[in-house]
Amino acid sequence: MKKLITMMLVAVLAVMCAACSGSSGSGKYEGQTLHLYNAGEYIEDDVIKGFEKRTGANIVLDIFESNEQMYIKVANGDAYDILIPSDYMIERLMQEELLQPLQKEKLTCIKDIDPDLLARMDFDPGQQYAIPYFWGTVGIIYDTRVVDENDVVNEGYGIFANPKYKGDIYLYDSERDMFMTALKELGYSMNTESEAELNEAYELLLNIVNTMEPEIVTDEIIDNMAQARKALGIMYSGEAVYVMSENENMAFYMPDYGTNIWMDCMVIPKNAEHVDLAHEFINYVSEYEAASINSKGIGYTSPNLKVKKELSGNGGEYEGVDAYIPRMDNANDEVFHYSEKARKIMAELWAKVKIAASNA
Amino acid sequence: MKKLSDLAIPYIVWAVIMIALPMLLLVFYAFTNSGSGTLTFRFTLEHFRKFFTDPDFLKVMWRSIVIALKTTVLCIIIGYPVAYFIANSDDKTRGMLVLIITIPMWINMLVRTYAWIGILSKDGIVSRFFALFGAKDVEILYTETAVLIGMIYNFLPFMILQINTSLCKMDPMLLEAGNDLGANAAQRFLKITLPLSIPGVVSGISLVFLPAVSSFFIPKLLGGGSYFLIGNFIENQFITVGEWNFGAAISMIMAVIMMLSMYIVRRGEDIASGNVKPDAKKTLFQRLIPDSKKAGADERRI
Repeated sequence: MKKLITMMLVAVLAVMCAACSGSSGSGKYEGQTLHLYNAGEYIEDDVIKGFEKRTGANIVLDIFESNEQMYIKVANGDAYDILIPSDYMIERLMQEELLQPLQKEKLTCIKDIDPDLLARMDFDPGQQYAIPYFWGTVGIIYDTRVVDENDVVNEGYGIFANPKYKGDIYLYDSERDMFMTALKELGYSMNTESEAELNEAYELLLNIVNTMEPEIVTDEIIDNMAQARKALGIMYSGEAVYVMSENENMAFYMPDYGTNIWMDCMVIPKNAEHVDLAHEFINYVSEYEAASINSKGIGYTSPNLKVKKELSGNGGEYEGVDAYIPRMDNANDEVFHYSEKARKIMAELWAKVKIAASNA
Repeated sequence: MKKLSDLAIPYIVWAVIMIALPMLLLVFYAFTNSGSGTLTFRFTLEHFRKFFTDPDFLKVMWRSIVIALKTTVLCIIIGYPVAYFIANSDDKTRGMLVLIITIPMWINMLVRTYAWIGILSKDGIVSRFFALFGAKDVEILYTETAVLIGMIYNFLPFMILQINTSLCKMDPMLLEAGNDLGANAAQRFLKITLPLSIPGVVSGISLVFLPAVSSFFIPKLLGGGSYFLIGNFIENQFITVGEWNFGAAISMIMAVIMMLSMYIVRRGEDIASGNVKPDAKKTLFQRLIPDSKKAGADERRI
């Protein structure tokens, strides 16, 4: 017992020492702490270390599971210096005046960012509040050995109702993305507020869970598709990049009738304590070096144009992986907008889809 | 004496803030609708109507109760012999065994449940074990069995420890007396040990059934997205849908169901341990719920 206590004490001391030595650096941010709120497995350790080394500040990283979970904490007054939510959620935070405008004179990074992407940021024109962190699309990941390519191309998201693949599909547990697929399949806008259209999409999803025996999963889809446990799934492009680099039989397809273009951006909440440091962080992460490390490690597309070109170009990490370059030339693709009404309807209907799935 | 009761004030204040206030808030949310402004509220029974008129919701509730009952029954069946064995070992072994049962509880429940994902998954130990006997591709993960295993694993120690405590408290001389009076081993167990251990079983039931019926992360992790229990539904209403009022109403319905079930269990305990003379003419159900006829009549009048 004594031995155990001694060992625990040693461990605690070791952690404390590591914490002390970690904060030695130089600069005007010396000793400050940046509170970062980000999704899980969404930033490379080396990026955090590099920033701490450059500024002498510490990063405290909190992790959220979903944009909605993040929203609850931020709306209830938890103080962070940087948040990295998705487009529609940034729109909501802007509407509810929970963000502060960026101080453009402190940002040196905008010139490095893909101008095509900036032009797509219609929820925040002119980057008043948000600077892109990662971006991509949503599409179908499929096993080319099992799934006929013609089926994917001809049926688009409708393939998830094709009895040929019954019991062999993953759905992604996010009402927004699932309703997007159904609405696009029906030829509607993913930003519809029409109850009739949303109900039609609901019937379509309900039919899938009632007849196709899908598994409704979240992040486990990544490893499972990399190991080809099922043949079809809904996936973000960045995750598809990883899956395709692990398993050469996997392919990624975006239907011609359109899909979702999403971007997760860095924003500074109104109650941030270290505003200057937060701007510094945005600059650092967007610059070539850190952006390259981050994109290589995580697999999502970098907003930094040079990094994107380099990683997808000759000899790059993701040469030939088409999922790494999000499609920008299809007029049917859309960016999500925030609508309280649509959000509520979708969330309620998706809960019913999941209930139906467990009752099936 | 006065001074001593003054000392209780901080605890009373604490209890009010930490226990009573959240409960009151929950009840308040359950019976109101948040209006357009932030501070306008309106009394409503709509949430309860919504819940009880949707067969899908009722199915979810029913499934949660059934799986919690299964968990509880299996915990008793597995836990009682273990507790009996522990109680009958000598002092040193008993301490050791109790420690072994308790050690896993030092580790966070979430982490332990995560471990089961690896054990039950397609390439996990369980499926490899079955593969030895030729059963290929046994995948338990994301099925009801997986949820049941996770629940029993997490809640079994509570049952064992409770039963063990009540068995240890038992006076061994009672058994000797029974022996002297000619009772055989089976009779001694049924007439002496079992009745005296009922209080332990009952508190074990409340410690297993209550968390099991409202558990949400075990079904979430081991049942996958396609296994939805009432706890997941409540979490979903708060986190994803953002309907705090409806979520609060479901929580309240569950709280009432739990209180009722606890009341029934306590009544059952009284009857089993002989504190209440059961009326032979009444059925078991009538004995558990006193004046059920009268209550039914009252309801009809309403």
